Amino acid sequence: MKNYKLNNILVFILLVILCNSCTEAYPLLTNSYEEALVVEATITNELKTQEIKLTKTAKFEDESYLPESGAEVFITDDSGNQYNFKEDAEKYISTVEFQAVPERKYQLHINTKDGRSFESSPETLTTINPMQEVTAAVEAKDNVNGVSIRIKSFDAAHASTYYRYEYEETYKIVTPKWRPIKAELSPTGSLIFLTNSPDTKVCYGSKKSTDILLVNTNDLSEDRVDFLARFISDQDYIMTTRYSILVRQYIESLAAFNYYTTLKKLSGPESILSPTQPGLLLGNIQSTNNLNNKIVGYFDVTSVSTERIYFNYADLFPGKGAPPYVTDCQEYCYGDPEAGQVPEPCTHVKSPVEDLALGYVTYFTGIDGAGSFSYWVNAPCGDCTTFASNIKPTFWTD
Amino acid sequence: MKKFLLALIILFSFQLSVAQNTNEKISITFKDETLESALKAIETKTSYKIYFDHTWVGANKELINGTYTDVKIDEILDKILNKTDLNFIILKNKIILTLNSTIHDDLPANYFSDAPIETPSNDNNSDNPVFYQQYDSLNSYSVTKKASIVFIGKENKDITKKNYTVSGSIKNAETGKPEANIYIKVKNKNISTSSDPDGNYTLQLPRGINVIEIKSLSHKDVSKTLMVYDDGTFDINVNDKSNQLDEVVINKKGRKQTETAVSGLVSIDIEGIKNVPLILGERDILKVATTFPGIKTTGEGSAGFNVRGGKDDQNLILLDNAVLYNPQHFLGFFSAINPYTAKKADIYKGSIPADFGGRLSSVFDITTKNGNPEKFSGEGAIGPITSNLTLSLPIEKNKSSIIFGGRATYSDWILKSLDDENLKNSQAGFYDGILKYNNAINSNNNLEATAYYSHDRFSLDTDSIYKYSNRLASLKWDHTFNKKSKAALIFTNSEYKFNIDYDSDNVDSFDFGYKVSESQVQLKFNYQLTPKHNLSYGIASKLYNIAPGYQHPKNPESLLISTDIEKERALESAIYLADSYKLSDKLLLDLGLRYSYYAALGEANINSYQEGLPLSNETVTGTTHYKKNEVIKTYGGLEPRLAARYFITEDFSIKAGYDMTRQYIHLLSSNVTQSPTDTWKLSDSNVAPQTAQQVSLGLFKNLKDEEYEISLEGYYKRSKNILDYKVGAQLVLNENVETELLQGEGKAYGVELLLKKTTGRLNGWIGYTYSRTLIKLDSQFSSEKVNNGNYFPANFDKPHDLSAILNYKFTRRYSLSTNFLYQTGRPITYPIGTYQYGNAQYTLYSDRNAYRIPDYIRLDIGINIEGNHKIKKLAHSFWNISVYNVLGRNNPYSIYFVTDQSGKVKGYKTSIFSIPVPSITYNFKF
Repeated sequence: MKNYKLNNILVFILLVILCNSCTEAYPLLTNSYEEALVVEATITNELKTQEIKLTKTAKFEDESYLPESGAEVFITDDSGNQYNFKEDAEKYISTVEFQAVPERKYQLHINTKDGRSFESSPETLTTINPMQEVTAAVEAKDNVNGVSIRIKSFDAAHASTYYRYEYEETYKIVTPKWRPIKAELSPTGSLIFLTNSPDTKVCYGSKKSTDILLVNTNDLSEDRVDFLARFISDQDYIMTTRYSILVRQYIESLAAFNYYTTLKKLSGPESILSPTQPGLLLGNIQSTNNLNNKIVGYFDVTSVSTERIYFNYADLFPGKGAPPYVTDCQEYCYGDPEAGQVPEPCTHVKSPVEDLALGYVTYFTGIDGAGSFSYWVNAPCGDCTTFASNIKPTFWTD
Repeated sequence: MKKFLLALIILFSFQLSVAQNTNEKISITFKDETLESALKAIETKTSYKIYFDHTWVGANKELINGTYTDVKIDEILDKILNKTDLNFIILKNKIILTLNSTIHDDLPANYFSDAPIETPSNDNNSDNPVFYQQYDSLNSYSVTKKASIVFIGKENKDITKKNYTVSGSIKNAETGKPEANIYIKVKNKNISTSSDPDGNYTLQLPRGINVIEIKSLSHKDVSKTLMVYDDGTFDINVNDKSNQLDEVVINKKGRKQTETAVSGLVSIDIEGIKNVPLILGERDILKVATTFPGIKTTGEGSAGFNVRGGKDDQNLILLDNAVLYNPQHFLGFFSAINPYTAKKADIYKGSIPADFGGRLSSVFDITTKNGNPEKFSGEGAIGPITSNLTLSLPIEKNKSSIIFGGRATYSDWILKSLDDENLKNSQAGFYDGILKYNNAINSNNNLEATAYYSHDRFSLDTDSIYKYSNRLASLKWDHTFNKKSKAALIFTNSEYKFNIDYDSDNVDSFDFGYKVSESQVQLKFNYQLTPKHNLSYGIASKLYNIAPGYQHPKNPESLLISTDIEKERALESAIYLADSYKLSDKLLLDLGLRYSYYAALGEANINSYQEGLPLSNETVTGTTHYKKNEVIKTYGGLEPRLAARYFITEDFSIKAGYDMTRQYIHLLSSNVTQSPTDTWKLSDSNVAPQTAQQVSLGLFKNLKDEEYEISLEGYYKRSKNILDYKVGAQLVLNENVETELLQGEGKAYGVELLLKKTTGRLNGWIGYTYSRTLIKLDSQFSSEKVNNGNYFPANFDKPHDLSAILNYKFTRRYSLSTNFLYQTGRPITYPIGTYQYGNAQYTLYSDRNAYRIPDYIRLDIGINIEGNHKIKKLAHSFWNISVYNVLGRNNPYSIYFVTDQSGKVKGYKTSIFSIPVPSITYNFKF
């Protein structure tokens, strides 16, 4: 099913020209807050300790989402098994390892400590159909050159049909202007120069997919997927050295697929003139004692397959210059405008002390002395730990 | 002639003292003589010289017979002129014949007094003769110079009657056909009537001067000055309005509003709306309609209308009797009805006549003008978005003609000339054309045929082109059997379709489309049973064919399957009988009864679902196959339509109505407002027809000689089985679309106040409505419930609604128009919180429509400049300069919340026209 909706942003642009319509940011304020329980429960066919996350909805103004703690969580199946879950670090973890098996019906039960009870409808495991491959290839999309991560899958029985994807990308970052000497502030507030730790030179960044990635083969003659999961522009710094992506393919039931489709539709850009009717999205979990107790989420019993690939920038773009770094790494100095030092040769006013205290800059070269300037760069250029982790992930292979 | 007669009177007034002194006795015999030869005979027999106008005398065809022996000359003249309109006076040896008037031999006592002369309806009529001198006072009637005086009856010195009966017929000057329902009123007097179906009228007029006026929406104004001496006849010819350039905002309904039994009728004066300032200068009948109480849209520029709490799909929009499925262009910004060819738009919000049916809430009955049967003429306009041209051409002079109207945009050209890469590749354009043929075959038969087509095309990115089009054709044959009985046979055919041409770089490009078409035959009769009972009855049958969607891959290598959703087919028939029963002068009843019958027809595969479970793909228990034209399911029922009017005083009436309506076709839309890609679905075993019942009560009052019209109406409406949708419903290319539908109950009530001033320098209307519209979607299953099964406000529930449309004429050439609108903000479903799911944030929504966006306020100003009014000019021109949203108020259209790329929730507010939008339009007519 392709996107039959108008391309909303462009409608908007057209209207600006033709009719000066206008869209502006609207302050996010929760006029009347109603708390609801949010359940993230995806049970797969992987044998492991399964996880369920229970959180509370929050006001827009709130900084974070509070976990729903102290609840009793368990899953039953139609063979009389019960899998209990134990609260652990804001999650509920199954007390034993188990996996969903085909043709068995699973049901989720939640009893919160304030007496609300919820139950899911019985769900069975979806078709098991691992994806065939994940590829990375240089491609142009909308006149932008870059790398496409495509997922290929096929089910000769045409039983899988509804696919949902998640990915987690990890990339190596090499700090471009790392120096063996670093500057710090002494307790008295003066600059001191120390030997730099090599730990700030190489880091690993990581991002999870935020979009709900869905594809279905319902209107295709074959149950064949060639899905563009991720497109990275060749100007994106994350590809500069080595890049890895872990893709998870979930085969969904029609009801679960519809739930995710609607969630995506409701959170997506609006058609200006005929907006989608929003509303409370009902999943397969319901209160057993009071229908006014709102609950969000879908108890998803799904087959999963995972695949990880790596590539180096140099392999895909041989001989091509690296993409620009995450920030501009031109070095600069601090000068006194009254002495005619700004804007030439220095672009920054006064001393680096304040910026250093705020973590904006790292030392690059030159010692501040009579007639000469010290040179500085934006903090990420000299220290990747300012925005990424220097701990090498356990799965990482170079 | 007037001066000549005055001179005569003045001349002979001086000789009055000697008049009639010489009254000879003569003997004379007349045998089959004309009046003229008889007078000649008298002249030769006597010494009298007789002065007369040959045309007056020649007009009396009655032959004169008789023998008079030794009879006085005045007695003979009395006898032979008795049956004519002629009077005479004998002055010495002269006899002067006058038409109608008596020459008096003395003046009334007050003749030279300064006291203003009363209009000659005084009781002492017989004392005071009616004098031509009263023409001096005609200034007070503001009779134009052209108008001549018509004399009714013969002046007669012995007057006892207070009123005289003047009757006659009203005919169309071009076609010679009698014109029914022409409203005639006497200026400055409280006397009026309307012509009957045969064009006849009767007025009771006081003796003396009466200025009678005809003012009608469809005809040129007529003003005649009558000098009434006695009972008499007077025929009036009227001309169709379409031929004239004299564009006065006219008194369109006159007393009709207080007189008919129908309440909840809005008649739009198409000629009058040209002064109303509108967005980008586009004249728009439907936008004007929304300024009247009870007719709303969800938002500015949104498609679809909500009439008295009805949903978008509950309006029967008829263009020359054929259904127009999507009456709007460019998603709803512009009307698809050409305002230059439309003659009349009647919108029934209640008291829907029994001959209309099939939709719950309203009927928009729009008729097209006939072409000018006399000469080639045309009209056009050049505006910032569209240009249009209307041409009218006689085929057989004064008998048949065609009119063509076409409109097109040049927005494509604008888009192409832009630098922006995305916009350059965008397309947005529309056009529409209408052609109407009319043939007045003879006085008993009339034929009209209309063809209409509208097309919209837009592409807002490089991938897909959206197109939608309306096509309709109608043929109407009117036949008059006799004075009392008439019939009309009408064939119509309508089609609406849309298409999405998705042409992407990858192999999966496809063509997607939808089509609904219907054909109807209607036979209507009207029979004047007795003067008190006027019956109308008829039958209608309509065949629907719907292709609910197809998707065809364009690339042969594509894996996409060619999908065609099963076609839907149904027959909707109705029979009706209505009686307009005039119980007394005060009480009029319109009693109508309609019976509609619907049959969903095969070929189709219809799902059956497990009893006691919600409809879903999982609860399908089986599929029944029906053969072609096999009846799948039938529905039907009575639809009473009752209305009554009672005159409390002569210009103050109270009306009450009750009507029931049934609807078998439904618009599927999961959006807040109607979109061109919404689809129509027929009732079948899983989707029940919608029904509605409305009661209404109204007070109607005309003030100051019908210069002002005031109406206050209230209504209460309940509807059943109205369609709604599950959150995020998938309605396109869904073979089991019934699983996404909810059917609920509606409740609407309101009070509508309208003050209208139809004439004078300042004219226009002010409307205020207080109304509520509530919907309940309840079920035993939570998946089919919205807001826990409680009543909640509909998307278009805007309790307070004030519109003022005012036009002020400075001179005949310059006028200023303003619109002012205030509406309560529409309800929205607002987030009541946010939550984290997966790796992104989402919004948790409130109960449906629990909040409202801020109120809507808008002021528009327009200046209209007419070209000069020289008759001999190539074209008459008209400029309209207008500014939309003068206050520049940023009226929110919608507020929505999205999860952005980084997984964070963002809120946005959209407004459509947030700054003043000026425009200029040039109109011409030739």
